[in-house]
Order: sequence, then C-alpha cells, then structure tokens
Amino acid sequence: MDAAHIRNFSIIAHIDHGKTTLSDRLLHRTGTVATRDMEAQLLDSMDLERERGITIKAHPVTMLYKAKNGETYELNLIDTPGHVDFTYEVSRSLAACEGALLIVDAAQGVEAQTVANVHLAMKQNLTIIPVINKIDLPHADIPQAKRQLEDILAIPAETAIPASAKEGIGIEEILEAIVERVPPPKPTGAPGLQALAFDSLYDTYKGVITHVRVFNGELKAGMNIKLLHSGKNYEVKEVGSFNPKPYVRAKLEVGETGYMTANIKTAAEVKMGDTITDARHPSGVLPGFKEVHPMVFSGIYPINTADYEHLKQNMAKLQLNDSAFAYSAETSVALGFGFRCGFLGLLHMEIVQERLRREYGMDIIATYPSVVYRVTMTGKDKTVKEVDNPAFLPDVTHIEKIEEPMVRAYIICPNEYIGDMMALVSEKRGTLDHTETLDPKRVMLHNLVPLGEILIDFHDRIKSLTRGYGSMDYEHADYQESDMVKLDMLVNNEPMDAFSSIVHRTKAEGRGRALAEKLKEVIPRQQFQVKIQAAIGGKIVASESVSAFRKDVTAKCYGGDVSRKRKLLEKQKEGKKRMKSIGNVNIPQEAFIEVLKT
Amino acid sequence: MLENCGPRISSLYLHVPFCAQKCAYCAFFSEASSGELINRYVAALVREMELVAHDLQPRTIFFGGGTPSLLNLRQWEKILRTMERLNLLGAEEFTVECNPATVSADKSKLLRDFGVNRISMGVQSLDEALLDRLGRIHTREMVFKSFDTLRAAGFDNVNVDLMFAIPGQTMKIWRATLTEALSLGSEHLSSYEVIYEEDTPLFAQLQAGEFSVDEDLACDMYEDLIARTTAAGFHQYEIANFARDAALNSQLSTRNFPSHACRHNLNYWRGGSFHGLGPSATGYVRGVRTKNWSNTQLYCEQLEKGKRAIESREELSPVARAGETAAFGLRMNAGWPFADFQRTTGHDLRGEWSADMDGLVQRGWASRTPERFQLTHEGLRFADAAAESFLR
Repeated sequence: MDAAHIRNFSIIAHIDHGKTTLSDRLLHRTGTVATRDMEAQLLDSMDLERERGITIKAHPVTMLYKAKNGETYELNLIDTPGHVDFTYEVSRSLAACEGALLIVDAAQGVEAQTVANVHLAMKQNLTIIPVINKIDLPHADIPQAKRQLEDILAIPAETAIPASAKEGIGIEEILEAIVERVPPPKPTGAPGLQALAFDSLYDTYKGVITHVRVFNGELKAGMNIKLLHSGKNYEVKEVGSFNPKPYVRAKLEVGETGYMTANIKTAAEVKMGDTITDARHPSGVLPGFKEVHPMVFSGIYPINTADYEHLKQNMAKLQLNDSAFAYSAETSVALGFGFRCGFLGLLHMEIVQERLRREYGMDIIATYPSVVYRVTMTGKDKTVKEVDNPAFLPDVTHIEKIEEPMVRAYIICPNEYIGDMMALVSEKRGTLDHTETLDPKRVMLHNLVPLGEILIDFHDRIKSLTRGYGSMDYEHADYQESDMVKLDMLVNNEPMDAFSSIVHRTKAEGRGRALAEKLKEVIPRQQFQVKIQAAIGGKIVASESVSAFRKDVTAKCYGGDVSRKRKLLEKQKEGKKRMKSIGNVNIPQEAFIEVLKT
Repeated sequence: MLENCGPRISSLYLHVPFCAQKCAYCAFFSEASSGELINRYVAALVREMELVAHDLQPRTIFFGGGTPSLLNLRQWEKILRTMERLNLLGAEEFTVECNPATVSADKSKLLRDFGVNRISMGVQSLDEALLDRLGRIHTREMVFKSFDTLRAAGFDNVNVDLMFAIPGQTMKIWRATLTEALSLGSEHLSSYEVIYEEDTPLFAQLQAGEFSVDEDLACDMYEDLIARTTAAGFHQYEIANFARDAALNSQLSTRNFPSHACRHNLNYWRGGSFHGLGPSATGYVRGVRTKNWSNTQLYCEQLEKGKRAIESREELSPVARAGETAAFGLRMNAGWPFADFQRTTGHDLRGEWSADMDGLVQRGWASRTPERFQLTHEGLRFADAAAESFLR
C-alpha cells in the first residue's frame, strides 16, 4: 500500500471507558473480523488482560477500509498497554502512530489515567481525535465531557465525535475521521530501512515475534538487519501483519505496521524502541529510545522450597515474553532460596506474580516491595549506590544521604472527598502541588508523592475513601533526598531478613510496631519466651513478646492412647523440621507468609 | 500361630462401650445402651475371650469404658464365669471402672467374689454445678455413698478420678474438691487436666468461644495437686497418678513405684504387652499393636462369625518401637532405669538416644545418673516435648 493510503493510530482510554469494545467494532465494521462469534475482546490475548480489562501486550491490527471518497485505506490500530507502569511501552507504541483516538466516557468524564496518556500522545505530536463514548447511557452528559476536554486537555470540543461503541453509533464517523484527520506516514528521508520495534512476544516455534512499524525503506524476508541499540545482526525470516491473526506478507513498506521474525531467541535481545535497519547500509536511529529499568523490586520465593528449580525455569519463560521483568537469585534466612525481581511498577509486579501463580501454577510468596534508593556514600569520592534491597543498605555511618524516587500523582475525585484525599497524600508523605477544577462536581489534585509510599495501598485507599469514585494515575518524577532508615525486625535478637525494609524515619516506628504486633500473633509459643523487636540501627523502637508455654504434656495417656499420641508427636516433630529456626525460635513458614500478606 | 511364641501375655484390658449418658469431655468410644445390644456385646466379648485365652495368663486385668459398672448382675456374671472357665481369673490386680451412680452392694459383692480387687471411681468433681457442666450423671452424695458401699464390700484398693481446669472451675472450687476427695482416704488418685478432644461437646464449646483456656490457672491447679497429695501421703509416680505406699520395710526409691501404683497402667508405660478386648480396644502383643473395630455392631458381627474384630494393625521397626517405649516411659517419675529399658526393648537408651538425653538435661528438664534417666519436676510438665525427641 502506498503511504498516502495508510493511517496508523492507537486508542487512549481509561479502564472501562470502552476501548476494547470500540476496537472490536472497528474490526467488525471494516470486515476484518466477519462475525462476532469470537471471544468478546479480540485484542487482549492473555486471560489476565481480559479479566482486569487492561492490555499488557500490544497487538497491532491491520484493517482495510473503503472510505466515503471511494478509496481503500490500510488502517493500523496499534493497541497500547493502558497503564502507567508501562509508560515507556505506551510511548513506543504511540511513536509508531500518527494519530490517536481519545475515548472519554460520557457519563464519567475525563479520568486520571486519560490525562497521563494524552500528555504522552501530545508530546509525540499525534493528531488526537476525541470520542465521547457511551452516549446511549441514561446519565450521559455530553456537554460536560466536552467541557472537560477543553478545560483539562485543551482539546477543541467541536472535534469530538459522539459515539456508542456498544450500540454501533458513530463508528462510521470515527473511521472517516481517521482517514481525514490523521496524517499519512511520511518517509524520514534516510537512505535505507528504518523500522521501530515497539513490542515483542515469544513464540515457541518462531522465537521472538517483533512488532514493527516501518518508517523508511522496506522490510522483507531474507534481509540482513541490524538492531542499532543492541548492536545485533539478524536475517529476517518472515514479515507479516495481524488481522488480528498473523498473516505473512511479502514485505512491509513505509508507514506499514506488522511483525517480523528473525530467529531471535529471547525477548531481551530486542529492546523496546530499538531501530531496525539494513545491516549493510545502516540508517540513523529513530528518536525517543530509552533503556527500561525496573522501578519496583521484591523477593519472590517458592512456598515449597523444593519448587525452586521449577520457579527458576518459569521465571525464564516469563521473561521470554516480558523483557522488562528482571530477576536474579537471592537467599533469605527466613524464606530460603528465591529471586530478587524487578518490575516497571506496581501493576507489573502484580501481573508477574499472578501469572506465576495462575499460568505457571507456582505457589509463591513475595516480600515487601522496595523502590530503588540512591545512596550517596561518605568519603572523598561520594560514590552513589543504587539500593533496591534493604539487605544491601550500607551501614548508616557510611551514608551521607539517601534519595528516593518520586512520582507525580494525579488524583481525580468528587469535591466532597478533597479533604480525605489531601489527608491521604499527606499521610503518604506527599505534597499537594495544585488543584484543578474539572467540572462542578470533581477536582483533580496534582501531587508529588514518594513512589515507595504508593506501592502498597494507595490506590485501594483512594477507591475506598471515595466509594469508588476517585481515580489515580502517576508518572515518574525525579529523586528527592529523604530521611530514610532501615527497619529491622528481630526475634530473640536475631534479624529476620524477610521483614527488613527501608522506610522513612517518621514511619519506621509505626511500621515496626505494626509488624511486631502481627508477628506476635503468628509466631507460635515456644518453651521459652520469644522476644520480637523492631529496630532502627541499633535502637529498639517496638517490642512484643510471646510468652512461654508453661506446659506441654498430655494430661492422660494409657495403653490405648499410645499409637495416636505417637503419631501426633511424630507429626509435630516433622513440622518443626520444616520450620525456620531464627535465634533458636522455630517459626513456621506459614507465619512469615501470613505477615507478608498483610 | 504367632501368638503362641514365647510366654503368655500377662495383661488384659477389656472395653465396655456403654454409658448411661455421654460426658461432655469424653472422646472414648461409648454409646447409649440398649439392653439387647449389651447382651449381644457380652456374648461377643465372651467369644473374643475364648479366642484369646490360650495366649493369656493375666496378672493384671482392667475393665474400662465407657461404664463397666453399667452392666447388670446377670451380664457381669456371664463375663466372670467365662473368665473362670477360661482360667483368666486370679490376677494380682483386677480393676473395674465404676461410675458412682451405678455402684450397688450386690454388684460390688459379685465383683469381689470373682477376684476383682481394685475399683476405679470416675468422680471427676465434687462440685454439683461442674458435674452438671461435664454431663456426669452422678451427684456428690452418690460419690460418698458409693465409696462406703465399696469399702463395705471389702475393696481395699480404690482409685478416685478427678479432673481439674474444668471450664468454670475456680481455684477455690478445685481446692474444695481435692480436700474432700483426699478425705475419702482412697489408696490411689488419678487427676488430670481436662483434655479438649475433637468431636466432644466441650471442644465444640471451646471452638465457639464459650469459654477460654486459662493455662496459668491450670498450671497452678496442677502444682496445688502435687503439693496437697504429697502432704496427704501420696506419691506421684506418673504425670497424673498418685498412690499411697504401704510397704514399710523398703525405701520407695529402690522400688521405683509406691505399692498401690496401678500395675496394669505401669505395664502400658513400660512398653509391656497386653491383650485388648471389646470394641475399640487396643492391644499390644509382642510388638504388634492392634485396634478393634469401634462400631459395636460390627464388632459383634465379626465375633459372631468366630473372627477377631481387628480393624487395624501396626508394627514398628525395632528402633522405632524402642523410641516409642522410651518416650512414653518418661511419663513416670522414676523415668527409665537403663537396665529395665534394655531388658524391655533390647536397646541401650545410652546409645541411640544419648544426645536427646543430654539435650533435656541441659534444659533442666531431666536428670541422668549411671543407673537411670528421668524427667525433673519441671520436665514432667513438658513430657510431650521431651517424648518427641525420643521418637525415631
């Protein structure tokens, strides 16, 4: 297809605002998918995605559309992961497009997530086509949605298309707007092939299937290519597109979107945003490339220690498909052998854990998540260390300062909850930058909050405080110096590594106390008193104790009781063998798990 | 037959699985009685005795339950006559468990006539409210009256069973019960803390949070029990067992047990063999543990076909068996004289279990001399934890 008849676009929407339904409608209307006998959400192939209503892996789909002007256009819908954890992935997907459909729910208006992604799209100079969806709903408020478009996003209201993906209203207008408003792709003017790798997935038979957008030149089977950022060369085995099932094409030309296979063994070899060029006549790199670094870390351990090797294999498999997921072996006194894992963010962490549990059937426990702290050491050279594991935090006497990563968090909520939200932000050591009125009923709070503070329950708290009406999104901001300390939990004076954490000084005591109380509940009584303490440096900030058994004896035991009693004692003895012994105290692994869950 | 190897078994337990009413704490197998089923049971028990008699030369016999005293005169007579016919009478110690509500002069006399020489009375408490709480059918008055009846019938070796740490029992109530029980002047006292066995009403009430367990109070009651029984002339010889010593000539320390210690039970704790007859009864014969069917109907059916009613068998490896014997023997104050252990099990406690003994001595739970290993006063309170380490 000549570039003038190609349109590349993506869809930006808040969860549940109808992105998937609209995508399905477009596929249907263009005849790409003939009937609706397929599963409701075509583009999301993982169970988890379907369940959570979010897209993790982006699939480009090619549609052919005969416009009113009589010409046939190739429309490439490049789906984007709809979550801020994957901001870079979103930005790469958006980079493959010239335009974006922005879906706003007519009843709910603009949400926090929408704002972050629109900002991304605007940064990439994409043409934005606003779609006000769900206009069929009884409480749809189109004028208000339009006002919010202008006020919050500075998008002219008259450009918005009223639609109902569910009822099939406005689909024609949307397709026409894509043809008319989204500019056709233009060659970059480079001498040869320039293609953007914007996603990849792993196939057992073909190896890595790289999703590509050709910016210049052409990509076809048999070519020798070079990935400019990774510096690796490959021979292209196959190119093609998705409709939405993959189909082989002779070549991909300027502006076209599809996939490429080239016997690439692991997803890690293809960096997101890498530029693919002709190996013999390399052209320059496409703009916007970044190395992706994990932002959130947590230990993942098999509940049954015998599963270690199995878990290792499954993590490797998972990484084949998810190059942003990092892991390395670590050991814990409490939990045994496991892995230190790095994630792009909270959702990414949850997704990986869930996939390990469900797709791979692993029984795992995750330790308290940590962010990456920047630790400046004392001494002449002032070395800066990045610490993502409390175990590796240097001794305080060697630390000059600790910086923690911050995020800009947007909270949108009904007016009556402003007070609650501000209190929450302040509890999370955040600062409110400014407030923006969205409409007579809602505001958006712009906050600066430490990433480490929103890891656990920030989102849930917003949801519960606002009875589900609040929404939150964030983008990564800079590092900020902060008074962080290492909190250790001790049992009979021995540290329990799995519970160590790096926390802000003002929170250390409270967290220490809460953990000590919880541990007191779960550590079984022993034949001696068990002391549980929380310590910052050498200073004890909280203390609990589990009183000793005063007796452990069967009151009554005669001939008929011996066998049963023996079996009971054997079972206990066996159980003690499986317990972790810390400071002479036997602690069942379930106790650790119980505490880590809270 | 395997049972014919070696000397005949000298200890016999017979289980009577009937009660007038099930007690709230009791997980022993028993059921409410119907005259017809009891008769059928008696016939089956007779049959079982016939099957086993050739391997028995009882020196101790124990009728437990359930409530053995619930059997009527005719039923008792049938059992005892069978024992007579099978040459099972004449034991040094022949105990029958009685509920104070079911003791009569006639029955006492019959038992006495056939050589029963020890009665174990399930008193449990002398507080009316607690007796009700436990679901016991007897009253305080019945205890005193029954005791007199037994004495009148010539029983000079009577045990009184008492429970402590009963929900609702205060230290004051316990002390009063203990004082009155001691004043009865029995030769033997068994006293143990309430056990919350699964499948009992008391356990269900505990689970439902109707009361909570006060460990400190239970420990205090236990200490009080030991102090008061000792002061009253009893000798503790096992965690829950206290007996008077009538032997005047020799020191108790050289004999291990007071003269009124229950020989039948000593055999259990010493890992000795015994036959167990009746529904749910356990036997331990030459290293093989057996358990009879708990269902009385099923038990009777088997014996009516002329077969023993064994539900399960268990035979441990020699070292595991010795470990078990070591573990349970530690319940006795005398612990294990090394020579006795060697004789019983063929193993030297100082070999395989040396480190386990040292560990317990270090914790202050046990003492070890060249002759024996025994738990200390504190160690007895942790007998289960101690026992655990000896299992193999």
